[in-house]
Amino acid sequence: MKLSKFFGRFSLYATVITLCAVLLFPVYWMILTALSPASELRAYPPNFLPSAPQWSVFTELLANHPFDVWFLNSLKIAVVVMIISLTVSVLAAYALSRFRMRGAQSMGLFILTAKMLPGTLIIIPFFVIFRSAGLIGSLWSVIIAQATMIIPFTTWMLKGYFDTIPNELEQAALVDGCSPIGSIFRIILPISAPGLAATSLYSFVISWSDFLFARTFVVTSDSLWTLNLGISSLKGEFVTDWNIVMAASLMTSIPIIIVFLFLERYMVGGLAAGSEK
Amino acid sequence: MATIEFNQVGKSYGSVEAIKDFNLFIEDGEFCVFVGPSGCGKSTALKMLAGLEETTNGSIRIGGKDVTDLGPGKRDIAMVFQNYALYPHYSVRKNMGFGLKMRGYPAAEINERVEEAAKILELTPYLDRRPRALSGGQRQRVALGRAIVREPAAFLMDEPLSNLDAKLRVHTRSEIVKLQRRLGVTSVYVTHDQVEALTMADKIVVMKLGVIQQVGSADELFENPCNLFVAGFIGSPGMNFFRGAIQNTDGRVFTTFGGAQVPLPDSLAARAGKEAIFGIRPEHIVMGQGNLQTELSLVESLGTEKILHFQVPAGQTIDNSEFEMDDEEDRDAESMRARIIDDHKYQNGETVNMDFPKSKIHVFDIETHAAIK
Repeated sequence: MKLSKFFGRFSLYATVITLCAVLLFPVYWMILTALSPASELRAYPPNFLPSAPQWSVFTELLANHPFDVWFLNSLKIAVVVMIISLTVSVLAAYALSRFRMRGAQSMGLFILTAKMLPGTLIIIPFFVIFRSAGLIGSLWSVIIAQATMIIPFTTWMLKGYFDTIPNELEQAALVDGCSPIGSIFRIILPISAPGLAATSLYSFVISWSDFLFARTFVVTSDSLWTLNLGISSLKGEFVTDWNIVMAASLMTSIPIIIVFLFLERYMVGGLAAGSEK
Repeated sequence: MATIEFNQVGKSYGSVEAIKDFNLFIEDGEFCVFVGPSGCGKSTALKMLAGLEETTNGSIRIGGKDVTDLGPGKRDIAMVFQNYALYPHYSVRKNMGFGLKMRGYPAAEINERVEEAAKILELTPYLDRRPRALSGGQRQRVALGRAIVREPAAFLMDEPLSNLDAKLRVHTRSEIVKLQRRLGVTSVYVTHDQVEALTMADKIVVMKLGVIQQVGSADELFENPCNLFVAGFIGSPGMNFFRGAIQNTDGRVFTTFGGAQVPLPDSLAARAGKEAIFGIRPEHIVMGQGNLQTELSLVESLGTEKILHFQVPAGQTIDNSEFEMDDEEDRDAESMRARIIDDHKYQNGETVNMDFPKSKIHVFDIETHAAIK
């Protein structure tokens, strides 16, 4: 019995460690490439630790490229998309979850099918619409396109979360003197913090890592480039400075990690525990 | 504190009528229980009173004031829900004070009232805990506390004991009754459990398929059920039924049970020759005397009392389809039960004499199922 328990635990840890190694290796390689001297990048056998870390690569990146502009553009897009998608999907998901109306279920499924369309399929209609609206060459084109792609999924995520919250909580709030809107803000949304955090994170990550829409709608205007567009421009026709590319990639990853660490505390499940029997 | 009136209240969902012609007057300070099987409309009626469901027609008055079109927060009522509906992100203190805060009471007064209610409900040590850190019984008391701090015109309770285990349910039942008597607040309580209804209520409203069947005290419903449904629903074990013809021979009014005569009240003489449904409560059957003979098919001993089962004579059973009970209350149509407290050692298969006292026989019309007086 004890032996089987030992082997069970051993295989669990072995699996977890292997998975972590596979998942974290690209991150490690990114850091290694950013910090290794150029001469060591193509060494064979490869060096798994840089002989002398090149910290200057970061100052070089900031001095020679408008990294701050790219960063700010990406941040604007990610934050605005997050706010728009959260606002729209909270209201839509609440309506789909709570209001009994004819066709609500098929409406919900229809919304989800929008998520199934690949970005490359709808980019041409987007382009035509944005050109007519004069939005090509504006960050709003990327924001609207991203929000359109993200909202269906976040609506479904939140609908699933709202479905788990008993109706009686809102009814209790109404009896206690809350208005219907008040009961959403005072009771439902605080309880939905894990769902809201997951939705925000999803929205931020997807819009932060956008390349397709930025490459199509704002590529002609340098001052509107996002981080991913900027990083792609670092690749030269004949020579690519991989230290710089990886340093930029590393710095691009940091905001995602910060957002995750900030939202993680809200992502623990079971906030509604104790409301019922 | 207030009276509550339902006037011609109805509720429809499309073509389905959930509540029909609901008329009821509840006195100030009265404890009124809505009871009935699942789907009878008792919770819908309560939610209409709370303002959580709109009425399709009719009006509702609380304390003489028409509240039909007012929202739940403006009706001066407090409600205890079946699953407690405590706000999980607030402490017990905040849960209890939330209604007062919404009504703009100063913090000091909220705190004073919460502390007072917590003392009554023995919740003082738990005031700063979240609901998840409480047991089921404690959560139930917090839900009650949230209602009583408000000092509302009426308490509404929707099956508040159904999530508690049997022992705690009995204890909490008496606690609620004591609390209601102490506060004197008009209360409306919904349950499907007729034992709860009988033990707690000043006034019981028996419902079936959205229609009030009978309103009365526990004794009135037990002694004088107005129809077959109420007779079968109230009482545990339920009333026994058998069919037969009313006969009148030489001025003696009787029916038969397995060939033997069962005397009936003389007032039924005018109905001689007609079929009827007869009912007798298990506790009213007298064993060891009388001219009725039966063989015991099962003897259940519950310590001090025994439940004796015996067969309804062939041709005298009442089908469950005629009985109009819902599936949950399904009964053995071919069996009758007697509830006995005596020292005799009854055996399965034993043949016993018994008597159905004339004064305890209930008679119902075979077509309308209404009680015949």
